[in-house]
Amino acid sequence: MPGLVINILDLLTALLQASIVVVSIAKGYSRRYLTINLYLAASTIVLFSRYYILSQHGLLSAEYIYFYYYSDALLTIGLYFTLMGLYATVFEEMKAAQYLRVFTILLLIGTAAFTCAVVQQSGPRMITRYVVEMSQNLYFVGVVLTYVLWGAILKLRETRTRVIQLVLSLGVYFSAFAGNYALRNLYPQMHVVWEFVPPVLGCLLPLSWARAFWSVSEEARLAPSRLMAVPR
Amino acid sequence: MSRKLTVVFLAMLILVGAMSLKTVVVTHGDGSIVMANSGGPVPPTPWKNSGGPVPPTPWKNSGGPVPPTPWK
Repeated sequence: MPGLVINILDLLTALLQASIVVVSIAKGYSRRYLTINLYLAASTIVLFSRYYILSQHGLLSAEYIYFYYYSDALLTIGLYFTLMGLYATVFEEMKAAQYLRVFTILLLIGTAAFTCAVVQQSGPRMITRYVVEMSQNLYFVGVVLTYVLWGAILKLRETRTRVIQLVLSLGVYFSAFAGNYALRNLYPQMHVVWEFVPPVLGCLLPLSWARAFWSVSEEARLAPSRLMAVPR
Repeated sequence: MSRKLTVVFLAMLILVGAMSLKTVVVTHGDGSIVMANSGGPVPPTPWKNSGGPVPPTPWKNSGGPVPPTPWK
């Protein structure tokens, strides 16, 4: 039964992701949010491919295990570039695109080099360990970058409702995964609960993004004072 | 020049912050992996293929008392 619920949530996630991409292309803002659309399209393809390989080879097969972890690493890199795309949107008026590109590549190279230095100690299956560790490290880089971007949005008094919603959704998504991981280690006896959290979160991110694209117009603005409590 | 250095400094600062956060979150972990992309049932970690007792180290072929070191 839990497996069935997780499968239904995965199917919902795939449908939401695919529909965001289709609507973006139909409405003509796929180029403006190119990284988000590419990530969602790749995520949908990976989700269906995982289920296909799972049905062909089984959960414990080397094919599924390697496809799962390698595709996750590629998607994390995709998510990283999605986040940097949001940075580019927020900072577009500051004409800092060149510095942002250098920053993006430098941070990616730094993370890769750090991962390589850590994994060198591990011995066998170094490439697999490298791929998984790289994915993990980039995920935590994403967590920090999202909070920095949120700080920048508050500081720059960004008012575009859609951008704010996209960034906040990503922040909640990243933070909830880290929280779920920490809680799972603190209370391992509640593993049934923690098992359901990732698919629910995986469904909520495209749902929130779908709302941002479908219900919030590009021209919608939000008063900066409503973004945080200002002491009187 | 100083702007470029600021970019380098910020990138390194973010990296240090992220790795510190990872250390805090993962320190008391059970070695499992944070999977944050797409769905599908999570397979076991590649380097933990299954359970079972750990076999003896290959260069310890059998038991018996350890002989003295040859150069003593």
